[in-house]
Amino acid sequence: MAGPSFDDLEVGDELPEFKPDVSMERIRLFVGPSGMAAGRFTDHEAARKEGLPGAIVPGILSAGILAGLIHRWAPGSRIRQIDTVFRAPVLVDSHPLCRSVVTDKDESDRTVEVDLTITNEQGETRVMGTARVEL
Amino acid sequence: MILDLHNHSIKSDDGRAKVENYCQWIRRREVPIDGFVLTEHRQFDADSDYRALEDSFGILILKGSEVETDYGHVLVFGVNEDLLHAFDFTRLDLPLATVVRESERCGAIAVPCHPGRTRVGMCAHVEERGPVEGVGIIEVLNGGSRGTEDHDAQALAGKHGYAGIGGSDAHIVSHIGRCATRFPRRIKSEEDLVAALREGKYEAVSWT
Amino acid sequence: MDLEALKAEWVGLDFDEKKFDLSAEQLRVFAVSCGEEEPRFIDPNDPDFQAAPTFVTTLRSARVLPSGFPNLGRPFDAGKKVILHAPIRGGDQLIGRSRISDIYSKTGRGGPMIFVVHEMEFRNQRDELVAVVDSRQINQPEAK
Repeated sequence: MAGPSFDDLEVGDELPEFKPDVSMERIRLFVGPSGMAAGRFTDHEAARKEGLPGAIVPGILSAGILAGLIHRWAPGSRIRQIDTVFRAPVLVDSHPLCRSVVTDKDESDRTVEVDLTITNEQGETRVMGTARVEL
Repeated sequence: MILDLHNHSIKSDDGRAKVENYCQWIRRREVPIDGFVLTEHRQFDADSDYRALEDSFGILILKGSEVETDYGHVLVFGVNEDLLHAFDFTRLDLPLATVVRESERCGAIAVPCHPGRTRVGMCAHVEERGPVEGVGIIEVLNGGSRGTEDHDAQALAGKHGYAGIGGSDAHIVSHIGRCATRFPRRIKSEEDLVAALREGKYEAVSWT
Repeated sequence: MDLEALKAEWVGLDFDEKKFDLSAEQLRVFAVSCGEEEPRFIDPNDPDFQAAPTFVTTLRSARVLPSGFPNLGRPFDAGKKVILHAPIRGGDQLIGRSRISDIYSKTGRGGPMIFVVHEMEFRNQRDELVAVVDSRQINQPEAK
């Protein structure tokens, strides 16, 4: 699939939205190899005992999912930098929405900057960030 | 005139937006605001000069601060040399009464922000310890609010007769212009903004 | 907590160095978990097979904080910044060097928080800088 052309992109362009799979099954597949098999990620009850509303998606998975969103939009692109702020937990078994928009273009090195967000079902921002992407 | 009164740039520890990119975004997305205020966390950015950006984009860019008090976070508009010497902007435990009083004395104005937010908003603190004298305005619409936080802020304003402003609390470019404040008069400077806030004729607006 | 004393003692201190032998399978599993679909991330036979951009965030130092660093409360991951300099390939041997790059405090919904920024620089077997990861860890003193 061909990605967007740098020349055609404009500040304000939206990337296709993405609904990531953050089911418990998926999280358990992730945490083992990542060395993050803690109860707060894999067990709702254990997470509640820690004072959390339920099991939470590891922040590093949220960051990885957002990088994946960029690649689905622009196959072959190279992410030079991705900076994510975990403002509030994304809950396992919830239905978050990942969004991204172009916020800057640098003609000198043909990179774009994008905003990244993960919101929950109430539209509240849980994760936000930015990335610089070479197209 | 519509101003977004609460925003952060890369000068704030958790801000990720360049000011120029805010301007580009406002113009490209036709965000219906005439300007915005940069309220960096626990500091006043005296050094940055945004006049060239203002001219280039035709957008008013003012500077304020967001400080931390015993009643939660507070926006300060009209920061000047006198106020910078009146208290330490970097502290986490400034008494709200001091921030309000010193702002008034120095020709600035203090506005508690996101009052409905746990710990960092004033609602729960007022409930526990009573209101603070001198507070006349609070932020009743905040772009980062969750659940009933804005509703709780509006209830607090109604109960104590506070005027209400709106601000996006943007930390990334695309979050600017979620909430703002509509003034019936023209504002050109921080001093104008303080005067307009004192007049009390404005309304908080939201596009989210 | 005397933040200035804490900063003076710990910021800038290199405190850990760890080797990571990377398998192609490790890289593939991470990329699939993140929903990557391009062969360069999920197919070890692709001629350009490489780690997905944030893979390095899974490589953790032997210590999160230096030995002797005070207990500042319950830690939470507040965010990650990844700067990528060169592709990371299956079979690479990386060395990750850790230092504390900043300490600061603020108040959030959970009360007072101390942020510790852990910077980890990764070099490959050819001593090429491949990535730098800044991890911002929140510590809540009231939740010790």
